Amino acid sequence: MRPGELIFDGVEKNYKIRGMRSNRQETLKGLLFGRRQPKMPARDYPALKKIDFSVRPGEVVALIGPNGAGKSTLLKLAGGILKPTRGQVLREGRLTALIELGAGFHPEITGRENVVINGMLLGLSRKEVEARMEKIIDFAQIGDFIDFPVKTYSSGMYVRLGFSVAVAVEPDIMLIDEVLAVGDEAFTIRCMDHLARMRRRGVSMILVTHDLDLAAAFADRAVYLNDGLLQDDGPADSVVARYRSDVAGDLHDDVDARAPIRVIEEGRRWGNGEVEILSVEFRSGGRPARLIPSGEDCEIVINYRCHSPQRDFVFGIAWHSEDGTLIAGHNTDLDGLQTASLEGEGVVRCSYPEAPLAPGLYEIDIAVHTADGLAYDYWCRAASLKITAPVGLPGFWAPPHRWTSSGKIWK
Amino acid sequence: MRHLSLLWRHRALISVLTQRELAARYRASVLGFFWSLLNPLMVLAVYAVVFTTVFQPRFEGGRPYPLFLFAGLLPWMFFSGAILDAAITLVDNGPLLAKVMCPPELFPAVVVLSHLVHHLFALPVLIGAMWVASAWGWHVFPWTIFLLPLALIPWILVAAGGAAAISAMAVRLRDLRDLVNHFLNLLFFASPIIYSLEVQQMPGALIRVLKLNPMASLVTVYRDVVFTGKVPPLTQWALAYGFGVLAWILGSLVFSRLRDSLVEAV
Repeated sequence: MRPGELIFDGVEKNYKIRGMRSNRQETLKGLLFGRRQPKMPARDYPALKKIDFSVRPGEVVALIGPNGAGKSTLLKLAGGILKPTRGQVLREGRLTALIELGAGFHPEITGRENVVINGMLLGLSRKEVEARMEKIIDFAQIGDFIDFPVKTYSSGMYVRLGFSVAVAVEPDIMLIDEVLAVGDEAFTIRCMDHLARMRRRGVSMILVTHDLDLAAAFADRAVYLNDGLLQDDGPADSVVARYRSDVAGDLHDDVDARAPIRVIEEGRRWGNGEVEILSVEFRSGGRPARLIPSGEDCEIVINYRCHSPQRDFVFGIAWHSEDGTLIAGHNTDLDGLQTASLEGEGVVRCSYPEAPLAPGLYEIDIAVHTADGLAYDYWCRAASLKITAPVGLPGFWAPPHRWTSSGKIWK
Repeated sequence: MRHLSLLWRHRALISVLTQRELAARYRASVLGFFWSLLNPLMVLAVYAVVFTTVFQPRFEGGRPYPLFLFAGLLPWMFFSGAILDAAITLVDNGPLLAKVMCPPELFPAVVVLSHLVHHLFALPVLIGAMWVASAWGWHVFPWTIFLLPLALIPWILVAAGGAAAISAMAVRLRDLRDLVNHFLNLLFFASPIIYSLEVQQMPGALIRVLKLNPMASLVTVYRDVVFTGKVPPLTQWALAYGFGVLAWILGSLVFSRLRDSLVEAV
């Protein structure tokens, strides 16, 4: 394994729930004199079931899902704080867990002393911590307070110092549990900036967050957990969209009885099916095309069928490169189209006068959903398109361009 | 043995955590570290007044009695203090265990070490008192006192083993601390601290029972060295070390048994 790699191999985690005594601390009295009848068997509560996934070095994975889905348990297993009931967790390299910032700061001793202890707990030697002390104090912006007992700190200072120590460790793998939600906005921005820099250096990250925009923007991949099961694992934006759709579906269930979201194709297509995407095709120059020269015109044609009339609908398209990077996204709502009614069968077209894409394979997600995200039909990688060019060009964008110079330096 | 190698690997962290423990205890007090010196001095003063002017003990184990008592009390205070603190250390340090990934073995070790430091701070008081007593002609200065480190090792072993076991068990059984408290009280009177097993003042049957207490050899060895001024017989050394090693092994076995369930329970 390479440093920064993390593998979950068939991991299961059960918590013991001890029958009637689950809410009380066990006591000797209970142990010695507790009534044995009625005997409540200790039950195992499965917090995670059969989790298989891996994080490659330098990859940022967002962990999303509702409360109680098992996200924190998964993170603690990744950090080695908890041991799996079955399966194994493999990891390589130095790991830092940002689970609770400043956890374990002792209130009576100074910030400086606490930094030394926390740094050593995170795996640095005393010398290493002291060498980084100035950087840590600078980043935390707490100035002279560093030599006062931690109990005199404001909660913001506490959190800032906790973050500064944790990132000073320069880990290969970083686990982050919703900690960026604390602290003032300026600090959150600096935290994000710092994490982005660490990411560029190739630090792998697992990020638990309820901020779906952050997950989609920051993570390469997302893992969607629900009820201890891995629901979806894939490019961050499509997994986030899937989760949003599930959440919206749950909300709708409360008010009216809509058809439930169902998975049409595992990890790739889901929706409640009230509007169905029949087919998606590319056209260029008025003819169907799977191969389009860079810079030519291009049109996406969506054939749909409506099982019941809808007034609330949005058609959306997301372009991805072959490695899953989101290149462009647009939908009818963002483009300001007002909905009237959708009935029966029909065709929706989105045309691009020119597609100045770099040569390569591109895939598109096509979706029909309500304005708040409930999916009628969400189809990831619904169609693919090959862009060709006389020469190979790197990147995604191949705009028309021209070189000039002051003198005649080219033949 | 994994237990021991783990402690050794994290020795720097243990020393820093011990410093934290000591610093935190005295940070907000005026006298600071002087308390480590002052506490035993107070104990000695109180015992001296009570047992010379208020009443005479029936089974006087040695003279002067306050010094005899002090020599037995000091290691006991180290041992019982460590055991009692061990019962709460893992719960107190729960955030470090559950949020930062800290090996739980460190905490009972830190408790024992910080109490050991207090004990070492009390030694000047003990030696000073012996010196004063010998200067006044009440007592002969115990030159065997240089054997003290050897007499202390079994105490450290027993305290470390006991602290490891108690700390892990107390995570699930929160009222263990009260039970331990009473047990220590019982053990205190069952150990030859306020009396001596060598001076034939008690019924023989009682002495035979009390000699079964494994702590007896530890108390005797320690007091022989720092008070009586004789080199303890080899059998006593063997008993003390034997029990020390046994207690340590048992303690770390109990700990390793419970280790994996600790984080979920704190």
